[in-house]
This record gives sequence, C-alpha cells and structure tokens, in this order.
Amino acid sequence: MATEDARYRQTSQYELWSFSPTQLADMREKTNAAARARIAERLSSLPALSNNTSTPASSVNTPDPDGASAPALPEFLTAAEEAQLVTFFTSELLRAGDHAEMTDEIKATAAAFFRRFYVTNSIMTYPPQEMLIVALFFGCKAEGSFVSISDFVKTFGKDNPEEVLAGEFLLCQGLRFAIDVKHPFRALRGALMELAALPDVDRARLGAAETRAREILRFSPLITDAYFHYTPSQIMLAALSLADRGLAERLITETFHHVTPPPDSGADTPSASGTDAPSSKKPTARSGEDKAQIIGCHLRDKVLGTIEACRDMLAKELPERREHWTNKAVIKAQITPLRKKLNKCRDPERWNLVELQRARRQQAAKKADSEDGDPDDRGEAGNSLQSDAAVFGDPLTASARDTKRRKVLSNGKGLDDPFGGPL
Amino acid sequence: MSRKPSSGLPAISSEDMCPVCKTIRYLNKDMEFLINPECYHSMCSNCVNRLFNDGPNQCPYAGCHRTLRRKGFRSAFFGDLSVEREVDIRRRVAAVFNQAEDDFETLRDYNNYLQMVEDLTFDLVSGSDAARRAAEATLQQWEAEHRADIERNRKAGREADEQSRRRLAAEREAARQRRVEALREAEEEKRERARSREAELDSLAKGEVVSAGGPAGGAQQRVQLKRRGQAAVNAAAASAAGTGAAAAAADVGRLSIRGLKEKKAPAPEGPYDPFGGMDFVPSRYKLHDGLSHPAIDKYKADPGHITGGYNFDDYTARALYEAFAGLAVFVEDEKEVGIGLSAGEVATISAGMIAVGDKMELD
Repeated sequence: MATEDARYRQTSQYELWSFSPTQLADMREKTNAAARARIAERLSSLPALSNNTSTPASSVNTPDPDGASAPALPEFLTAAEEAQLVTFFTSELLRAGDHAEMTDEIKATAAAFFRRFYVTNSIMTYPPQEMLIVALFFGCKAEGSFVSISDFVKTFGKDNPEEVLAGEFLLCQGLRFAIDVKHPFRALRGALMELAALPDVDRARLGAAETRAREILRFSPLITDAYFHYTPSQIMLAALSLADRGLAERLITETFHHVTPPPDSGADTPSASGTDAPSSKKPTARSGEDKAQIIGCHLRDKVLGTIEACRDMLAKELPERREHWTNKAVIKAQITPLRKKLNKCRDPERWNLVELQRARRQQAAKKADSEDGDPDDRGEAGNSLQSDAAVFGDPLTASARDTKRRKVLSNGKGLDDPFGGPL
Repeated sequence: MSRKPSSGLPAISSEDMCPVCKTIRYLNKDMEFLINPECYHSMCSNCVNRLFNDGPNQCPYAGCHRTLRRKGFRSAFFGDLSVEREVDIRRRVAAVFNQAEDDFETLRDYNNYLQMVEDLTFDLVSGSDAARRAAEATLQQWEAEHRADIERNRKAGREADEQSRRRLAAEREAARQRRVEALREAEEEKRERARSREAELDSLAKGEVVSAGGPAGGAQQRVQLKRRGQAAVNAAAASAAGTGAAAAAADVGRLSIRGLKEKKAPAPEGPYDPFGGMDFVPSRYKLHDGLSHPAIDKYKADPGHITGGYNFDDYTARALYEAFAGLAVFVEDEKEVGIGLSAGEVATISAGMIAVGDKMELD
C-alpha cells in the first residue's frame, strides 16, 4: 500500500466523512424520515399555534391519520428537495464568503462544514440561513483566521453576535467534531510543480490550466458531493482534467509508470521499467508485485476511471453555474416554492437557535442544581420543565425526558462510536 | 536446620504450671509461655530469661538436646503446638515453593505441582523419620538451586521471607570478605616480590658469587610461583568441593518440576514511535530539486519570509504530498466493503448479490 494513501486513510475526512453515493443517499433518506416523524409529532402537539399556521391548502397530499380532530400536517420536503435546497444555500454561502472577502480555504471549509452538517441534520430542523453564517464563522476559526465576532457580525448586517454563537456548538456536534477539512488547493500547486519539472511542458499552458482549475476548485466540488465521494487529489486531478485534459493524464501516466516485467526476464532485470533513478534502490529491491500495486498499470486505469467519474460530477456544476444559482428566474421557478414549503414544515422547537441555546443552558443549569441536591429543589426542576414547555411549546414531562435519556443510553451505536451517533 | 520435633508435644492446656520451674499461675499472674520453633517445648518467660540470658543453652526438657537461643523464643499463636508447628512448616515451604499459576504452561502442571508440594509438606509435618529427612533434603536443595526464582517470585507479590534475605546478606558478606581477602593477597604478593628483589640486590651488593645468586634467585622465584600456584590450587579445590557438594546434594533427590514455563526476558523495546509505525517516505513521487511554482518563487527573495527561517522545501514537500495522497483511495469501494456495515449497506450488498445470482441463473 502506498504510504501516502495510508496517511490519507488516517484523516477524519476519510474515516468519518467519506461515503459511497448509496450510503450518502441512504443517510439523507434516514435524516429526512427522522425529521418528518419528529416534526409531525411536535406540530401535532402544538394546540394553539397549529390552528393558526397550518393552512389546509398545504396539507392536501398528506393523509391525516388522526382524523379531523387533530390539526392537519403540512407537506414535508423530500430528501431530494432538501438536497437541492442545501446546494442552493451552499451557493449562498459561497457568495457570502465572497462578500466578506474570505480566502478560498475558509470558504471551502465553511462549505464543507455546511454540507456535512446537513447530512445528519434535516434542513427542516435547523435554519439553513443562520447555519451558513455559523459555518462561515467557524470556518474562519478552523482555518486559523480569528476574526472578532462583533466585526464578523457587522459584515453580515446583523447586530446580535448571539445569533451566530448560538449555533456554533450545534454545528460542531453535527460535524462530529471533525474540523479538519482536506482541500485540493495546495495539491493543485504540487501537481503543477511536478508537471513543471517535466522537460517538455509549456509554462504558459500550465499557467492557464492552473487558473482554470483553481476557478473550478473554488466552486464545483464545494457545491456538489465531491468532497464526500473523492479524495482531494482525485478532485484536484478531475479539475485539472476539466481545465486541460492532456496535463492531467500526463501526470497520471508519469506517476503510474510501472510496467510489469515479462515473467521470464523479470528475475534478471528487476528494474525493467527503466525510469527508476539510482536513488530508489530500496523500492526496486522490493518485489515487483508490490510495486505494481503502488504504481502499476492496473491501478492507473482504476484511478483514471475514478477521476473520470469525479470529472463528470464537477462538470455538472462548472463555475459558470454561479449565475444559475443567482438567476432570479431560476430562483423563482425552483427555489422559492421549496422555501415556501420549508417555511411551513420547519421544526417549531429547533428553528430559533438563540431560544434553543438558552433553553438548553437553562436546562443544564437546573439539572446541575437539582443534582447538587437539596430535596426542595424538586419544585425548581418542575418549574424548569414548565419553562421548557413554554419555550418548546411541547409539554415535556419528567418521564418523557427520562425515557428519552434512556433511549440515548441504550442506543448501542451512540456508545460504540467515539464521535457519537448521528444527531 | 533439620527439625526433629519431639514426639509428644505438650499441650498448653495444662498451662497453669511451667513444666520447667513448676511455677503456677497462682503465684505469677503475668506468666507467659514461650516456645522455640527448634523443638516447640514451652516454658515460662522467666525460665527463658533465666536460662538463655547468658547465651545459647540446651533445652531444659529431659531428653531434648537441642541448643536454643533466646532470640528464637516467641509466644505461640495457636493453643495446640502441633498446629503451630505445622503452620510454621507450611509457611517455610510456601516461601520456597512459591510458584504462581501463571508460571505453568497448563493447569494440569500447576495442579501436579501443588500435589507435589502438599506431599512434601505432609512428609515434613507428619511423615516417618526417613521421609521427613528426605523431604527436608529436597526442600533445601530446591531452595539452594532456585534461589533466584524464589526470590523473584517472592518479589512478585509474596510475603517477605526473612530467612532467605538473611542468607543473601550473609552471601554478600562472604563475597565482600572474599574480595577483601583477594586484595590482601595481592598486596601481600607485591610486598613479597619487592622484598625478594631487595634481597637479590643486597646479595649482589655484598658481592656474592653471581653463580650462587642465580640459583638463589631462581629458588625464590620458584617459591613465589609455588605459593601463587598453591593459591590457585586452593581456589580450584574449593570450587570443586562446592560443585561436588552440590552434585552430591543433587544425587540425594533430584527434584524437577514439570511444565514450568521458560522464563523469557521481554524483548527489548525499540525507541518510541509517536506515529505508530507510519511510513513517511513517499512511494509515488520523489522530492527532487528544481520543484518550484511561480506563486512561491516571488517569496524566495523576500526578507520577510527568509529571515524568519521559512523553509520552502517544506512547502513543496507538503504540496506534493497533498497532490498524491489518497490518489488510489477509492472511497466508494472501500466504504461499501469496509468493516462495520450498516443495515442499509448490507441491504444494497445483498441486493447486489441477488442481482448477481439472477444473472447467473440467466446464464
């Protein structure tokens, strides 16, 4: 196994945030179903509000299981619609990043955070417009550029830093605390260095290819699922191949140059490939089979196939599509109906991040108090439950909370996985 | 060392009277009975003080000729002195045969060992005279031969065995003595040589016949050589006697325990590797000179970057690593076939298998 690949397999990006397409679709479906169930439960337990908000027109498609007495449920977003909205808001995030004049890495990290967060959380549960600001703020921190929160908030025309800070821990949880995102930007530089070292490559051609590839990397992989399905070097090569196909293929053929020696002469001439420098004596001492596994032709074809697939994915969202996502007609036709739908089916408890954060803090403080322990704190705890109910609009009872906690504890996956189960 | 308990141990039940001085408790309220593990004959503390204050003395019991010391006396823990004796013996045997179960290859071996130890203990406690002597010899031999093992076992959590510690100290003392002796001998020899040399010079100065001096010097030399040789012979004889004694002891009753694990020293640990054996040598690319990029070239002359010690090679190394890292990591395949499949994955895989099965049926 190649040492570089072994090192990449150690990253949290590979361990926690790389999925096959079927897995990703499966997770999105699950998230969607869970959010539907939870929101339906909460909406139906809202006695006063639901009568006002749930319009009968929106609930035509959903059969009402409880009969006429229960309030009608709105129509929920499907997983595909959610994905489309996430993509739209990712483009919004990138625009916001441009507006705040952030570096490419910060924007890319923020976009990756945002998309990762909405894999295990439904867009109906947490408000995407707030979360994208939170992702940008946290992306700044993750990339080592520490802006003050008040300045940051001013950039986006808000005045309450609380709105951003409220979602920060939530975002971290959603990311399973894996906050290092591997990007293809520096990889592109490395690839160009390697190409520039080849004797017969035109510098001007390289410069043009790099500009274009970087342009692609700034947008296309961020707005698609490329970060979930491919490694940074594959994404980089795909972008390079979109910019200049010849260069990308040249780099791959140069890398995977090992030719399996014919079996009869193999024993006599171990370095049959001929391109081995004398400095690589040790690698040649290894068996030819081992070498074929690292830089063999077979592998080259597979890598080419993977890069081709990635290229197809990126080609769907070339940088020219930036206009598409800001085009008023497109937004009106595709996004606005979805957002209207979203407004109706969002989670009443979780939508306001500031309130949610405050309620959680109160709950934690009360819990600490009651655990500290005078017996006459019981009444206090009861009060806190009531205030929770006021915030959430959901009559939480102590037993309900206990069962919930027990469910969390008995959920085996949550205990086995060091980063916790999906939220 | 061999203990030869008198057959009829007196029970302390008749303890109101000291069997030696016939004092009764009525006269001395604080009367305390002491025993000596040499023979387990009890007597009152007054008698012990009276008889043994002036050094070792014979046991006052009729027919018991053991020499007792005051130091050995202690009050019995158990009322029944035969129990006291058995406990003492068991303690002593346990201090010598202190292998733990971990030291054996199989449980059966360990059980055999325990059986052997118990037989030996039984012989010591209540065997016939011959059996007791044989057991005693075995015990001593084992103790002598496996001192290191026993010591280690004891250190590994056994109770302190004061006796062997004392013996070790004595050995150390003997070794020290030997060293001092050797030093002294060397000194002596040196002095002797100097003296003979002086004598030779003196004889030369006196103008004695040279031909007479030669043999005289030679004789002295020979004497010295002889003395030195004598020392060597003595040493050899002593060691031979030692081994001979050991061999003789070995012949008495060679004891070997079966199934003991080979004591292996743990393999020496290499230096700590913080990366857990990860290899940092690139396998798909080579870092060679002349790697450059226009974007970093302009900084290479910038004092702001150079002065701080920024290393541009690090940047190129990192950029190249990122360009090639994970190139042959195929996320889709690896995540689908990886360990820890979730239900959904299993479903897709089984669906795939069904599809394959269908295809095979079609074929």
